[in-house]
Amino acid sequence: MQNKVSLDKLSKNDEAVIDSFLNDTLPAKFYELGFAPGSIIKIKHKAPFNGPVCIQIKHDDSLIAIRKSEAALILAHKI
Amino acid sequence: MKKKTIALLGNPNVGKTSLFNRITKLNQKVGNYPGITVEKRQGTITANDQEYSIIDLPGTYTLFPNSLDEEVVLKTLLQKENEDYPELVVVVSEPSTISRGIIIYQQVREIGLPAIFVINMEDEINAKGLSIDYSKLEQYLKTKVYKTNARTGTGVDALIKVFNQEVGPYFGAMNLPASYQPAIDEAKKLFPLDTEYKTWLHLALDSQNIHPQDISQQLKSIRDKYQISAQQLQKEESIIRHDKVQNDLVSILSKSENKKLSFTDKVDSILIHPIFGYVIFFGILFFIFQAIYNWSGPLMDGVDGIFASLGEFVAANFPEGPLNDLLVNGIIAGIGGIVIFLPQIVILFLFIAIMEETGYMSRVVFLMDRWLKPFGLNGKSVIPLMSGVACAIPAVMSARNIENPKERLLTMLVTPFMTCAARLPIYIVIIGLVIPDRDFLGFNLQGITLFGMYLLGIIGALLSALVLNKIIKSVRNSYLIFELPTYKTPDFKNVLNTVWEKSLGFLLGAGKIILAISIILWVLGSFGPNDRFTQPEKYIAMEKPHLSEEEIQNEVSAYKTEYSYLGYLGQAIEPAIRPLGYDWKIGIGLLASFAAREVFVGTVAVVYSLGEEVDIEDDEQKATLFQRMKSEVNRNTGEQTYNFATGISLLLFYAFAMQCMATIGVVRKETGSWKWTAIQAGFMTGLAYIAALIAYQLLK
Repeated sequence: MQNKVSLDKLSKNDEAVIDSFLNDTLPAKFYELGFAPGSIIKIKHKAPFNGPVCIQIKHDDSLIAIRKSEAALILAHKI
Repeated sequence: MKKKTIALLGNPNVGKTSLFNRITKLNQKVGNYPGITVEKRQGTITANDQEYSIIDLPGTYTLFPNSLDEEVVLKTLLQKENEDYPELVVVVSEPSTISRGIIIYQQVREIGLPAIFVINMEDEINAKGLSIDYSKLEQYLKTKVYKTNARTGTGVDALIKVFNQEVGPYFGAMNLPASYQPAIDEAKKLFPLDTEYKTWLHLALDSQNIHPQDISQQLKSIRDKYQISAQQLQKEESIIRHDKVQNDLVSILSKSENKKLSFTDKVDSILIHPIFGYVIFFGILFFIFQAIYNWSGPLMDGVDGIFASLGEFVAANFPEGPLNDLLVNGIIAGIGGIVIFLPQIVILFLFIAIMEETGYMSRVVFLMDRWLKPFGLNGKSVIPLMSGVACAIPAVMSARNIENPKERLLTMLVTPFMTCAARLPIYIVIIGLVIPDRDFLGFNLQGITLFGMYLLGIIGALLSALVLNKIIKSVRNSYLIFELPTYKTPDFKNVLNTVWEKSLGFLLGAGKIILAISIILWVLGSFGPNDRFTQPEKYIAMEKPHLSEEEIQNEVSAYKTEYSYLGYLGQAIEPAIRPLGYDWKIGIGLLASFAAREVFVGTVAVVYSLGEEVDIEDDEQKATLFQRMKSEVNRNTGEQTYNFATGISLLLFYAFAMQCMATIGVVRKETGSWKWTAIQAGFMTGLAYIAALIAYQLLK
């Protein structure tokens, strides 16, 4: 089993597969926009000073931005 | 024959509104859904020998609501008694995010609504590296799939033709997890007529605004009994649907390199670069404000000229008397005072609409969220705050797309601090009076002060947000998730349509209130309780016997102002404003400012016997006004009225005070609460009073 890491720890251009959410606070909208378990994502941009992270959802090529605090709640493994 | 109701449904950024504009040929109404401030777009067309009412539902990713907009979508589709309950749903999607479109399509079919599927932006299918097996897709969706390009109009006529056709039956639905079956069976008793999936959907909703309260309670007790949460059901469904669609699409959709994305990628590497991104954003802001002031000048002069000559025409051609005066100085001047801001507002909204249409606005949200979050705001607050520099009224309305209720409320509460167009004439007059026209380190002191006033507006907004953030309780956790769409050339029809709607909204929304107050002020200023008002000549002749004809004329209007109801009101509030360094004449100006701040300049001009028509753009008239104001003596202190201390005190008062009735009206409407409206007005005016008081007492 690979090491799980939360999305905020990944660097720009890292690719990863979503595993699970750390807790229940994130609404279903996060799944709907592409952070469902098994989805492949790529870190595209990071706003400076711990700003939001822009993530590419591989299956539909959409770019989704979330705050770093939310990225910290999403677990994934790097590929 | 009865109108057939058709609803357009789809994700944001799929060109749904462009398609709506194409279908309705702009024959549409924009209003609000009853009771809430979500924009409702409805259009009527006649085709296939039938009248259709087309509803453009707000963009949404799925049926589960996270904002007011999304609640509207759900209610429209769920409640058969809803006046907009559609007889056909047109699900609009675009090539690359087609799987999201399919999910919402399936949800709609499974609650029992007939629907057809549209792939808009069909011209991008190849560029996005997609190939779609349409016959398989149609088989999968159990409907015909239509391809459109809303920008060119391709496919739109073909789409309208099928509005009349019966949609084939839909079967097969999401496999509801077996573990929830007992709960669903129990919920089914509440909704005996609904499909299995619709029952599940009812159970998965915990928003207070969807169901009647008793049903809402019963659903909650079912969830409690089986120890499940609405959130949990929503997440289960999202995952089940997502996995299924991804599997099913493998044989329908194939992907190669996405050229659109690589272009967006390249642009993004500059526009949201950690350094250049900000440099470019502030450069664009600077350009926009330059444009607003440079381009709007001639237009504003034009508007001013038109209303001035209209006033003169009416004054000359209508029989003299109070009615004539009401028309000229009440109504025409009032309307002119509103229309004069239209050029600035049009230009600002033109830029904002272009930024939204190209997809740049969501990059701004991305860049700014980090800097607004500490103040309890949200990246999306940028749009209202920026718009606030033109006018707070449309700005407060643009806070609608902020999902989190607390962040939305905060944004609306602090937006009126931004330096709106109406404050500018006052700033120019007061700065001209009390700040020396000298250079300091190569910059003009007056210019620096004006710039400082803009900064002060921003600081006022942010610091107030910080304070109010501590006071307001949060109902929902703050989170931010939004899509950065691929860059597009703006659809100018959409841009112009947006600008038109916003400007019209301003004219009608603010116009009503400003006009009403202008008339009230006119009445208060045109009548007085005693003969000092009705026969001022008698008293002037007694007090100042050596005046020339023209001086008497001006003295008469000054005298009339002093002894009108408005004048008495100004004198009545004088004790309250004396500590700020103001006399009753400034008091009249403050009262008049409640119609709109810029009225201050015209009012003080009258009070200082210069007559109404002072144009501060005209250097000579400006010089006269300045000279008169400079020589004015405050009868309380015996000093010059407009000295440095009073000037700064006035600037601060105008920067912070909530003086715009139209904004108060809009905030009341948008927050739906008198309480918050009152808190905002009290907070702002209180802050203004204290700041002005401290400044005057320190500087005098």
